[in-house]
Amino acid sequence: MSSTVYVDRGSSIHRLNPVTKLVAMLCIIVIVFALPVWWVSGLVLAVAIIPAAVVSRCGRKLSRISATILLPILVVLFVVQGLTFPGGKTALISWGVFTVTSEGLHFALGIGLRLVCLVLASVLLVLTTHPGDLMSALTARGMSPKFGYIISSTLQLIPAFRDRANAILLAQQARGLSVRGSPLRRIKIMMPLLGPLILGMFTDVEDRSTAMEARGFGSTARRTSLVPVPDSSVQRVSRWAMPMVSLAVIVVPFATGAL
Amino acid sequence: MIRLDGVSYAYPDTVRPVLENVSLDIGRGTIAGILGASGAGKTTLAKIIAGFIPHVDGGELSGTVSVEGQGMGDLQLAEAVSRVGLVIQNPFNQISGARYTVREEIAFGLENFGVARPEMQDRVGEVADLLNLGPLLDRSPYELSGGQQQLVAIASMIVLRTPVLVMDEPTSQLDPAGTRMVFDVLSTLRGAGITVVIFEHKLELLHQHADVLYVLADRSIVAAGDPTDILADAHLAEWHIGSTRYTRVARAAQKRGLLAGLRHLPVSLEQAVAVFADDGGAR
Repeated sequence: MSSTVYVDRGSSIHRLNPVTKLVAMLCIIVIVFALPVWWVSGLVLAVAIIPAAVVSRCGRKLSRISATILLPILVVLFVVQGLTFPGGKTALISWGVFTVTSEGLHFALGIGLRLVCLVLASVLLVLTTHPGDLMSALTARGMSPKFGYIISSTLQLIPAFRDRANAILLAQQARGLSVRGSPLRRIKIMMPLLGPLILGMFTDVEDRSTAMEARGFGSTARRTSLVPVPDSSVQRVSRWAMPMVSLAVIVVPFATGAL
Repeated sequence: MIRLDGVSYAYPDTVRPVLENVSLDIGRGTIAGILGASGAGKTTLAKIIAGFIPHVDGGELSGTVSVEGQGMGDLQLAEAVSRVGLVIQNPFNQISGARYTVREEIAFGLENFGVARPEMQDRVGEVADLLNLGPLLDRSPYELSGGQQQLVAIASMIVLRTPVLVMDEPTSQLDPAGTRMVFDVLSTLRGAGITVVIFEHKLELLHQHADVLYVLADRSIVAAGDPTDILADAHLAEWHIGSTRYTRVARAAQKRGLLAGLRHLPVSLEQAVAVFADDGGAR
């Protein structure tokens, strides 16, 4: 019922501290977007993301989720940039008034590879990191527990509220409500269902707030965690080293005039 | 231990008080049952004892509320909840939504209070054994049935080991076996010196386990005393509380001319067997 996409494979990537993975993901994204050349994204993909996906044994699910997100974007990107890139001079294909240019496709390749890196790195993080562990790790590093709660509870409560909406719908259908017909008719039918759903949610919020306070959520004590978050001195060092190396990777080519 | 003196309360933006001049005196290590029809103000009273009113809900509260001699109004909410645990009526809403397994869910309050990990593990294990939650510990709280969620909600408060536990209809979604188990657990807690205030409709179980019963009706406490006396009170029907099935059978028997002259109607199986045996013997 939870909306988490976490896949428990127990790999070495899974066992990394969530903050280490988060820092790595952010470094990857910063590098590919700061260095505007396609082969940098390709290199990051080849030496970091694909090996990590293989080691994590989440490759199949990673491909499926990423393809669902990326395919429509990439298709639109290549079509639009291939056809309308302003600096396009080298025509590859011409069809009536439409001309696909080499420069347009090259530009789309650069943007597309960056998006591929962004999506693959993000999806790999959520596939290999349990949201509860991520929140525990971030809270242990000073993130507000309230902020952590907002993220965690959203992941779990949305499916719960979806189930409640389904229950209301079933109750209405049991009393003769028909939900067939055109999309417009379906929207009109759904409108009366929102009342009980939203009112119920307000009551729930008040109740849940009482329950949370009853369990010390407002306590000022330093929070502890039942589940230990894995960490090591190597990871602690790497969490500092990765941003510094990334900064160097970005600054050096510009400073030396290589880019 | 728990003392309410002349407590009246009206919710914000309302004129008519929900409770008027309510007084209670519940001793340490006692199970106190509070009976009342729907809308009698049971949930409001539960929140007052637990310190949520007026800290969270606001409104006009008069009179005094104290637990272990400490006025609840003088405490910060975080201090109040470390003295009085509150199990709310709807288990779905008692589940935090922030934890992904039953084990973590039970430990959530302990984490908030900064309890060390080894102690947390011990306490979670103990309470899971107490409520037979062992097989569910690694499941998501949202995959459980309503009854199982209710047990998790109860466990998540018991684990905090507050000296007082206030429970608002804690067995509403449990099957008979689960309900009996919860009442047995409450008796165990009483043995450990914990004071339990339970708002319930299950009269026979209250008779078996409670030390004292209070009746909440007409915005106030209208009767208080020994469970046998309270449950035999002829006014219970007027207060829309009903009676145990043994009392109902005895009344039906009297209408048919049996149990003539019986003044105290039975409220339990043992009492019913005794009065019918006496009546049969007399015939």
